[in-house]
Amino acid sequence: MSGTNGTQTELVTLTIDGKVVRAAKGSTIIQAATAAGIEVPFYCYHPHLSIPANCRICQVKVKNAPKLMVACHTQVAEGMEVNTHHTSPEVQAAQAATLEFILINHPLDCTVCDQAGHCKLQDYHFEYNAKPSRFIENKVHKVKAEPLGPTVMLDGERCIMCTRCIRFCDEITETSEIGMLNRGDRSVITVNPKKPLDNALSGTVVDLCPVGALTHAKWRFNTRIWFTKQTDSICPGCSTGCNVKVAERDGEIVQVKARLNDKVNKEWLCDEGRYGFMRFLPKHRIVTPHIGGKAAELNAALLEASKLKGQAALVLVSPDLTLEEFSVLKNLVDKTLKGAQVALAYRERPLSKVEKILVSPDYAANFRGAEFAGLVSGNLEESYAAALQKLRSGAVQQLLLVGERSIPLPDQDPALIEGIKKAAVSVGILTDAGSAVAGALKVVLPGRSILEKSGLLVNRNLRLQYTDRVVPFPDGSEPEWRMLGRLAEKMGAKLTSAEDERALTLSYLSATKQLSGVTIRQIKADGVCLKSLNAATSTAGSQTGAAQWS
Amino acid sequence: MTAHHSILLKNIRQPDQHTLAGAESRGAYSTIKKALQIDPLKVIEEVKTSGIRGRGGAGFPTGMKWSFVPRNSGKPVYLINNADESEPGTFKDRLLLENDPHLIIEGMLIAAWALQSNWSCIYIRGEYGYPFSRAKKAIEEAYAKGYLGKNIFGSNFNHDMVIHRGAGAYICGEESALMESLEGKKGQPRMKPPFPAVSGLYQCPTVINNVETLANMPFIIENGGKAFLSIGVEKSSGTKLVSASGHINKPGVYEIDMGYPMKRFIEEECGGIWQGRKLKAVIPGGSSVNIMTAPEIEKVNMDYESLRLAGSSLGCAGFMVLDETTDMVEAVLNLAHFYAHESCGQCTPCREGGHWIEKIFTRISRGQGLPGDIPLIENVCAQIGGHTICAFGDTMILPYLSIIKKFPEEFKERIGEAIRGQVKPREYLNVVYDGAH
Amino acid sequence: MSIKLSDKAEARLKEKIALYPDPKSAAMWALYIAQEELGRLDDRAVEWTAERLNLSPVNVQELITFYTMYHKEQLGKYHVQICRTLSCAVRGSTKLTECVRKRFGTKPGQPSADGMWSYEEVECLGSCGTAPMCQINDHFFENLTPQKLTEILDRIEKEKPDLKLSTIDDRMGEGLKGYPKSQII
Repeated sequence: MSGTNGTQTELVTLTIDGKVVRAAKGSTIIQAATAAGIEVPFYCYHPHLSIPANCRICQVKVKNAPKLMVACHTQVAEGMEVNTHHTSPEVQAAQAATLEFILINHPLDCTVCDQAGHCKLQDYHFEYNAKPSRFIENKVHKVKAEPLGPTVMLDGERCIMCTRCIRFCDEITETSEIGMLNRGDRSVITVNPKKPLDNALSGTVVDLCPVGALTHAKWRFNTRIWFTKQTDSICPGCSTGCNVKVAERDGEIVQVKARLNDKVNKEWLCDEGRYGFMRFLPKHRIVTPHIGGKAAELNAALLEASKLKGQAALVLVSPDLTLEEFSVLKNLVDKTLKGAQVALAYRERPLSKVEKILVSPDYAANFRGAEFAGLVSGNLEESYAAALQKLRSGAVQQLLLVGERSIPLPDQDPALIEGIKKAAVSVGILTDAGSAVAGALKVVLPGRSILEKSGLLVNRNLRLQYTDRVVPFPDGSEPEWRMLGRLAEKMGAKLTSAEDERALTLSYLSATKQLSGVTIRQIKADGVCLKSLNAATSTAGSQTGAAQWS
Repeated sequence: MTAHHSILLKNIRQPDQHTLAGAESRGAYSTIKKALQIDPLKVIEEVKTSGIRGRGGAGFPTGMKWSFVPRNSGKPVYLINNADESEPGTFKDRLLLENDPHLIIEGMLIAAWALQSNWSCIYIRGEYGYPFSRAKKAIEEAYAKGYLGKNIFGSNFNHDMVIHRGAGAYICGEESALMESLEGKKGQPRMKPPFPAVSGLYQCPTVINNVETLANMPFIIENGGKAFLSIGVEKSSGTKLVSASGHINKPGVYEIDMGYPMKRFIEEECGGIWQGRKLKAVIPGGSSVNIMTAPEIEKVNMDYESLRLAGSSLGCAGFMVLDETTDMVEAVLNLAHFYAHESCGQCTPCREGGHWIEKIFTRISRGQGLPGDIPLIENVCAQIGGHTICAFGDTMILPYLSIIKKFPEEFKERIGEAIRGQVKPREYLNVVYDGAH
Repeated sequence: MSIKLSDKAEARLKEKIALYPDPKSAAMWALYIAQEELGRLDDRAVEWTAERLNLSPVNVQELITFYTMYHKEQLGKYHVQICRTLSCAVRGSTKLTECVRKRFGTKPGQPSADGMWSYEEVECLGSCGTAPMCQINDHFFENLTPQKLTEILDRIEKEKPDLKLSTIDDRMGEGLKGYPKSQII
């Protein structure tokens, strides 16, 4: 591939279970094995944390080594011959023993454990040991249901002392709230009461916990994981674009987990994003079109909305629409609202030291997408502030709001509501029936939350990612792109012929020159960097760091 | 009694040897003065020539260890004197620290010069209050006289020495755990590599030597490596301090030439088995080695190679003698309790397996043994050994496995009593508290 | 509110910190100093140590619970520690334990009603050549029998000597007059 930097990584050749593997010099056996598709089990190892090699389950046989070596810590070498549990009975025995050791003081309370069903202790036990324990002595009893902080609960007896949570707080957040007390089999993790686990990324330790020792205070005893539908998606909280796995049951989000993506969020997730997922789903949904506050036929509402006129119009856009939707909207503005002023709801906020590790200062998941689609450019924060000011002043006669987050906290800004009321034509594609904005608009069309959509997002660092629908959408709602398409039809223009989201994404990809050849599968894997795609054409960003697209 | 060379204990009975004046009157600090005129690399060569091996237990060649330290890495080099002497049955370093601390300081200075280290530390176990104060006082005296600090003996060599007190943790004798502890953390061993010579204390090149190893340096540099090499036997040169304890008439620290016959050592130096009883077994290297039965020690000599070939180890020569009355079930439980108590808790096999074994031995001792217990212990031991971060796991199983293998009838008897429900009353070696660890 | 110990303790810690390439290395000293001043390592000691050495409080708790010579709970004025490991055990250390257990009637680690005494069994104290033995505060008493130990305890009870020999102070260099001294060769 062209565009890689000059330094060539030195490779060594080794065999793992007889398979010839090439791996970068200085990398470890576990990395080489994983890259070659050979599974080596692990608990304590994490690619983005230091390597204590304490769980001992990743032991492998290395030819000529006097004893088994831990795959997480042993570096590859030229000509090395490695045998994992797939080919070495000695390794199998060691793995089975490690599991037996881990389980001797474990309470074996899977029946009441939230981790059951996605627990590495269960998984490995069934895969590598699955024998009854020979341990008949009394177990060591430890602390149960101890809150480590406002978000995380500890069950000391389930803990296997892998220290991932400790290392996360030491090495990543650098807050060092968690420690391990005592020694031997009385070891137990804890926090100091004066310094509980209370940082902006605290929930991440639950994701890192390979067993059921750490659980979310908010989601404990909610449901068994096998009753949920789990979807790989992207957190829409800010433009970092953290990769998440969302568990949903009966339309409720019952757990949010970080997904490993080396290039985006490692395996971290902020608490605001994780525990705040439901904020994207308003309690009272707009499911029918409204005209002047009264339910109306869609056709009538669209006809009313089509009174929007070009140059005078102000279009405020939510930053958590998909890239495809921004493209459709751009199309609509170009074809039917020529000369309209378009502003994306982009605001920044100050971040704490820990937040800065992961969180972007904006509330604008896909502002880069809007830029990429050519919908907006320049200093987004200033343009948006100016647009709101204009709205407050009552000077806006034609108003189109696309998406719930096109207007910030309207209930606390009465001048905005007054401004909206003064507009001759005001249309909004919204989701929250309870907001004052919906009441002030002439025409309201039901939209969808980003959690109910699938499509493309571009993160702050110009990585193209795929967000997948994590909850079912209510009947009557339409994704913004389709509603915009219908509106455009009333105004005599055709925006897209796509029937569904997937078709829309595919047609967008094929119609966009820079993305030719890029597949959804590729994007889903760990994203596609637009920077490298556009290395030749992009230039330095503006004040918000936005790139200019040619 | 046999005449052994006296390198380390030469002046130990002099009542004022712990003072600078006393030690100096017997030649202390005369060697370092000369050493400072010698090229540091030549000092290392001399130590290599001497063939001295680390006296802390592992027996690694000291000169080679020193030569691993990178020169001019741009980082400071640290020297640590491991005085954490916690191996059951070992108390030789304590004797030197209490009664001849200046010998140790001079040895450390020689090592520091060879390694071009400007900072060293004696890490002494916390329980050694008296040796601590003696050694601390000696350091203060050496500073006052200008033997430590800036421009030592008019050279441009500077060296600061600190004495650091542990606080009760056997594992801190393991060199990487010691460094962790010295950095203000729990003493939990580090994964190797990197080795301390490259990245040790505060990620800087570090050499860690045992007290006794360093105390040999003045002799080696004063008399030459060859003189040291001529003492003892081929692969184990010099003398060895043996801490003799247990069922003998004259327990204590003895300096013997390497290669000395063990039987003779027991009979002559140790004054034979106490109360006219017979020898049952010897644990020759501190508790973390294979036990040897009376017949096994008949022909064995006390040096690294001989004991290795005999299936045990010289270790740090914590020589524990057990007489015929010793109940081996109780003896092994005693050690199992020790290792379970001292496991740092970091890695799975040692943390869980160590306690498991202790619980099984406790059951056997208290008349609740089961027929499968011995094979179970053997199997658990096999899965601890070789599978842990540090050598603790590898070595704790040695006394367990060797005791159950060499004294099987005692375990059979206990378990048999339990099965028959006829447990004999006996005197226990180990106090078992209700529910306590 | 930050915790302050006596000027002497603060000065001692400063002196210790200056000895090391990294101040965190003085953490174990800080705990010794705090333990001596406060009698035990309670929340104040944790906070003080954490603050002075810029450690997270939980890391200080880790040290207190990892090393056996640090105590969260108040011990007796005289803390009798009987070595229980093999060399002492085979020469009769359990008899010493029985002796103190009967004498004080308390559980290990629990101070007597008058706060004068506590005891516990400890692992090898490096005094195997003079087994069995015990350590009372920082002082070793060796070559013991239950009878000898009883005599020593009686005498301590009567004379109340300053056995709390501060190893930080270096007051114990010459041992304790009149009490048996260590003789290990």
